[in-house]
Amino acid sequence: MSKYKVVHYINQFFAGIGGEEKANIPPEMRDGVVGPGMALAAAFEDDMEIVATIICGDSYYAENMENAEATILEMVKSKSPDMFIAGPAFNAGRYGTACGAICKAVKDNLGIPVLTGMYVENPGADIFKKDLFIVETKNSAADMRKAIPKMAALAIKMAKGEELGSPSEENYIERGVRRNIFREKRGAERAVEMLVAKVNNKPFVTEYPMPVFDHVAPAAALKDLKKAKIAVVTSGGIVPKGNPDHIESSSASKYGKYDLTGFDYLTDETHETAHGGYDPCYANSNPNRVLPVDVLRDLEKEGVIGELHKYFYTTVGNCTSVGNAVKFSKEYAQELLADGVDGVIMTST
Amino acid sequence: MDLENQNRVKDLAEKHGAENVVVIFGAAEAESAGLSAETVTNGDPTFAGPLAGVQLGLAVYHAVEPEFKEAVDSDVYEEQVSMMEMVLDVDEIIEEMTSIRNDFSKY
Repeated sequence: MSKYKVVHYINQFFAGIGGEEKANIPPEMRDGVVGPGMALAAAFEDDMEIVATIICGDSYYAENMENAEATILEMVKSKSPDMFIAGPAFNAGRYGTACGAICKAVKDNLGIPVLTGMYVENPGADIFKKDLFIVETKNSAADMRKAIPKMAALAIKMAKGEELGSPSEENYIERGVRRNIFREKRGAERAVEMLVAKVNNKPFVTEYPMPVFDHVAPAAALKDLKKAKIAVVTSGGIVPKGNPDHIESSSASKYGKYDLTGFDYLTDETHETAHGGYDPCYANSNPNRVLPVDVLRDLEKEGVIGELHKYFYTTVGNCTSVGNAVKFSKEYAQELLADGVDGVIMTST
Repeated sequence: MDLENQNRVKDLAEKHGAENVVVIFGAAEAESAGLSAETVTNGDPTFAGPLAGVQLGLAVYHAVEPEFKEAVDSDVYEEQVSMMEMVLDVDEIIEEMTSIRNDFSKY
């Protein structure tokens, strides 16, 4: 049987070209293995062969995504491989994102199996885990020795079109896919066994893992509230009447930034809520209930706070993904910082 | 081990002959000492540097190991290394270095 042909993608660092100072090199393709491909090739034994290695600088990819992707796709196509493998990227953010994006592009455009590997907290893992099989690695290249055999084993299975097992069996990051399977014991029995194990401090494995949310360390206390510029931000959906930017009532894909100049308080004639996840009557009849401009103006007049920031930021928290919410806040937090805001009151519903 | 140091070791081994080069490590943890030692014996385990796939098999020791301690001037050792010898987990480092020597050193 002939060997499956693989094209491998790595960045400038793993190609031995250099670190950050060489991160702007455009894509190039070399025949055979380069860098970690040596280890992959050894682990493939007689099943697969790396016919070419594509190398691209991490910064180049990040700054020229469309061009780089098109160029790399052409390179891959020219070798007509059976499979495409990128990385492993460990915890390198731009490298991981590039590995994920190129794997997805190859999968979507060429229809061949693709595989990459990265640390679970690599931003690329979060973005692409639903689309791709990503072998879970540790956070540094010191894990190469252990990561490569895992990637090679899964790659061989994928190339052969074999059925893949669960994430823990095959060492890939959970993709959020649920599959019906038959179990010997019914659910109630399994639940009781799990509970008994739990109260006895014995190991057990949940059948329904809960999403993990990160913890945000609280900021330091404000030194002097009387001089502080305070902004108000909400996920309660308060918007100017008519919702000019069409913020969605659920699963918001955007946020709004609106001027509070001249408003001593909000009324049902000036503002309303776009939120679709709670009874809007009370928020619509008195929007200050969600975005407390009235009391903040009072506090401003009384000198309790220095001033209320000119703009408020708003979105709808109803079913909005954590990913989107983080993205919104990263953007407007920078604007708030640039505007010299000292503290933010975040209201939700 | 960074790319430049890999290159230096590689050049020195070529210039003097691998059998004539001993590499002494000072890393504070067994794991990092082991990774560096593996790099100059079995090749760069991250496959990123000039020593990727190059098995130099050099002799490797850590500065807190008895072999090194006995080979150098005890006064200088006392002044330069003894402080760290008290702080580091010497047994763990010896164990790690010994396993690298047994598995990968050729000299």
